[in-house]
Amino acid sequence: MKAIVSVKNAVKNYSLGAVEVPALRGVTLDVVEGDFLAIAGPSGSGKTTLLNLIGCVDTPTSGTVEVAGKDTRQLSERELTNLRLHTIGFIFQSFNLVSVLTVFQNIELPLLLQRELTGPERAQRVMTLLDKVGIRDYATHRPSELSGGQRQRVAIARALVTRPQLVLADEPTANLDSVTGGHILDIMRDLNKSERTTFIFSTHDQRVMQHAHAVVRLADGKFVDRVSPAQAAAAPLGAPV
Amino acid sequence: MRAWFATLGVVAQIAFRNLFASRLKTIIVGGIIFFGGLLVVAGNSLLDSLVASMSRSVIGSVAGHIQVYNAKSKDPLEVMGRMMMGDPDISQLDDFAQVRASLLKVPNVKSVVPMGISGALVTSGNTIDLALEKLRNAVYARRDAKTEADKLRAEAQVQSEKGHVRQIVAVLQGDLKNAKSVLDEHAIDKDDADAVTRAASDKFWQDFDKDPLESLEFLENRIASQAADADLLFLNYVGTDFQAFQKSFDRMKIVEGTTVPPGKRGFLFAKNVYEEQVKLKAARRMDKIREGTESQGEKIASDPDLQRMVRENVSQVREILLQLDAAKTNDFRTKLRRELGSQESDVGKLLAAFFQTTDQNFRERYDFFYKELAPSLELYRVRIGDTLTIKAFTRSGYVQSVNVPVYGTFEFQGLEKSTLAGALNLMDLVSFRELYGFMTGEKLAEIKALQKAAGAREINRDNAEAELFGSAPAPDKGEDKAPAGRKIEATTTPGVAPVMHDLGESLGGKLEREEARSRVFPADEVQRGVVLNAAVILKDPKKIRETMAAIEAQGKADGLALKAIDWQTAAGLIGQFINVIRMVLYIAILIIFLIALVIINNALVMATLERVREIGTLRAIGAQRRFILTMLVIESLVVGAIFGGLGAGLGALLVKFIGKIGIPAKSDVWFFFFSGPRLHPFIGTSNIIAAFIIVLLVSAFSSFYPAWIAMRVTPRQAMQEDE
Repeated sequence: MKAIVSVKNAVKNYSLGAVEVPALRGVTLDVVEGDFLAIAGPSGSGKTTLLNLIGCVDTPTSGTVEVAGKDTRQLSERELTNLRLHTIGFIFQSFNLVSVLTVFQNIELPLLLQRELTGPERAQRVMTLLDKVGIRDYATHRPSELSGGQRQRVAIARALVTRPQLVLADEPTANLDSVTGGHILDIMRDLNKSERTTFIFSTHDQRVMQHAHAVVRLADGKFVDRVSPAQAAAAPLGAPV
Repeated sequence: MRAWFATLGVVAQIAFRNLFASRLKTIIVGGIIFFGGLLVVAGNSLLDSLVASMSRSVIGSVAGHIQVYNAKSKDPLEVMGRMMMGDPDISQLDDFAQVRASLLKVPNVKSVVPMGISGALVTSGNTIDLALEKLRNAVYARRDAKTEADKLRAEAQVQSEKGHVRQIVAVLQGDLKNAKSVLDEHAIDKDDADAVTRAASDKFWQDFDKDPLESLEFLENRIASQAADADLLFLNYVGTDFQAFQKSFDRMKIVEGTTVPPGKRGFLFAKNVYEEQVKLKAARRMDKIREGTESQGEKIASDPDLQRMVRENVSQVREILLQLDAAKTNDFRTKLRRELGSQESDVGKLLAAFFQTTDQNFRERYDFFYKELAPSLELYRVRIGDTLTIKAFTRSGYVQSVNVPVYGTFEFQGLEKSTLAGALNLMDLVSFRELYGFMTGEKLAEIKALQKAAGAREINRDNAEAELFGSAPAPDKGEDKAPAGRKIEATTTPGVAPVMHDLGESLGGKLEREEARSRVFPADEVQRGVVLNAAVILKDPKKIRETMAAIEAQGKADGLALKAIDWQTAAGLIGQFINVIRMVLYIAILIIFLIALVIINNALVMATLERVREIGTLRAIGAQRRFILTMLVIESLVVGAIFGGLGAGLGALLVKFIGKIGIPAKSDVWFFFFSGPRLHPFIGTSNIIAAFIIVLLVSAFSSFYPAWIAMRVTPRQAMQEDE
């Protein structure tokens, strides 16, 4: 199968004043189309940094990150933005909905940025997704009128509305209770199956990892292993595999 | 393209909703913009209305739309509001007829009025001169009386006039006593003091009839000169063609008397000057106190200006006393005693008490003054029909004097109360030219006649030496070699008449002036001669710039060096005044908008920092930086447009409202600026548009820095958690 994401020996340093803080110390990872991959690791292990690199939100200090066949270090700021717009969907831990827009408008927003579809086409796309994530009735509500789970559904719909090849979710259930979190993962999983969308999500929650095809484990900015959810559950990081 | 609009729609929607979400910020920012818009519209409209009304005043009173003068002049022409006493150095326009013809070729020119503006000292003849003249006439009448009845009547007249003169001398003696108490003894001319003492003595008056002419001469030479000081007027005047002036400045109307007939010498007082300078000061002050208390609602008890006028009336009764002969003195004493219920016998003290007016008794005293006292007084030092002797320094420095009859007074409708519009009196051009030192046709003919009679030959200044000393210059033999019997006159500056009169007054000079006074001049001479400047009235005043250029071009084509200036420039300092107000307004607007800029900028920066995550999210899901920029600028523009529009609208309403009631003119200066008693401001569409544009620009500018901050927000910042 074709690799949609190819990370080779990626290093990312952040500078905090004069000090260079290494966030990733050389990670190599391939993600194939249709994958449903969890990135696990404790706080500060580099999960978010890796997602940022894959999400074209950041570029590596060294090494390469290829997304949909494009080396992100070769792209301009503008091209990176375009790549995000057309290829990647984002789901955030804190949902990050635009508070002044309705649910419908929030979901429609990426389509408007794409400027490819007509109004009715957009509406149809949005309504279909609203159905799929089960919040059709809330289309005209503001995010502040929704529960956390409902908000994350909106965020999922927004991430998928452009039919991206890749959806990145940074701790998508961290702000949700376990039942709701489970529902959210179910929805993601369903969409992964029905739309063949590749999902990569970060988590440090064992239960969440159980939904993934595979779990990539990181520690101290380094790749530890790539295991099945069962293995990950059987041998948590820190314990010998 | 449709999608682009949809994007813009969503940007606008986010923007709108953000504004609504952060209402407080929006209201603060909007409030400032609102105020700015209001100020721009209201301020500019007021100012434009002021300019418009002031232009009506300036244009309608003397300047016309355009003033034209000789381009070779050293000083700029100022027809109004001149601060200096001296005349500016304006080169003459040699032939007005030619200038007029040239100007009338310019299509937009409606009419042209010839002008020359200057000022002069005028002696109106003071009270003692008049009293002495009457006494002298009475003495002559007594001397020449044929019948017994005539003799008796003349005798009575002489005694009455003697009483008046004696009264005046008594006043002078009082002055002298006052002067002695404040001045050093040496500062007072002993001869003058002695003369007054002598004239006040009983002996002098007992002996008067022994040699009345000798006594009169003493009074005329030694006493009259001491009372002359207050009777000089400084008058600014415009020499012009009365008919053309009246036709072109249609707001001008004659108040008293008539206009000056064509071809006649004559003088029209500006009503204001006539009232302010010529009227008896006490009477003028009574008028002003009445105006202050009745029209302006001020109180003598509280207004320092009115109090000053009352004080002056009390302390300056001398002016009235000088006018009183024995009979009038008695009459005044009786009337004032009755009015005041007083037993005082000194009329001076009675008058002082009478003028001690309060808010309670003023109106009664005012009526009493005009009903009982004024009919016995000369209220105006110069009456309509009198002849003014105007003395002016000509451009070459000698003194020229001309007798001009006063035909009447005039004022400009709507500008009755303005001292500025009423500062210039009118004089016929012929007299003006003489006073200014121009050669008039009349003068030229006179000189020709004189030259002919004396056998004089005119020679040029350049070869005067050759003419005088023979063909070759011979400096060593520089003696007078002029042939006997040959009078040589060198022409001086062309157009400027040589000294014709000396300062001293001779009977011949007097007669000559008398003769010149009544002569009628052909219209041609008025038209053809020299003028200093010309007022141009336009058909379409809006095309003032183009017409100015056209006039100068036409002048060039006709071989005339003409300079055209607009009314505002011609109005000199007054014209500048508008620029000053405008500058102040613009600076105020600038400051307000600078403050607005800072506050708005600050508020937007705060708002942007609060929205970092939202902006980061937008960036993460694929919004380009341009999108963020557009969003923030639209937010500012929306605030600017809505609140600025409201401000401009309210400003317009305010102006409209004020326009209905009008702003009252508080003082005479404002009468001029308002071109009437009230300013009715109007709204200019351009002001509303300007306000709108300024407001939008300020809004856009103030959003640049926050937008720049927003554009630097990275999508990564959307991922960062606050925990």
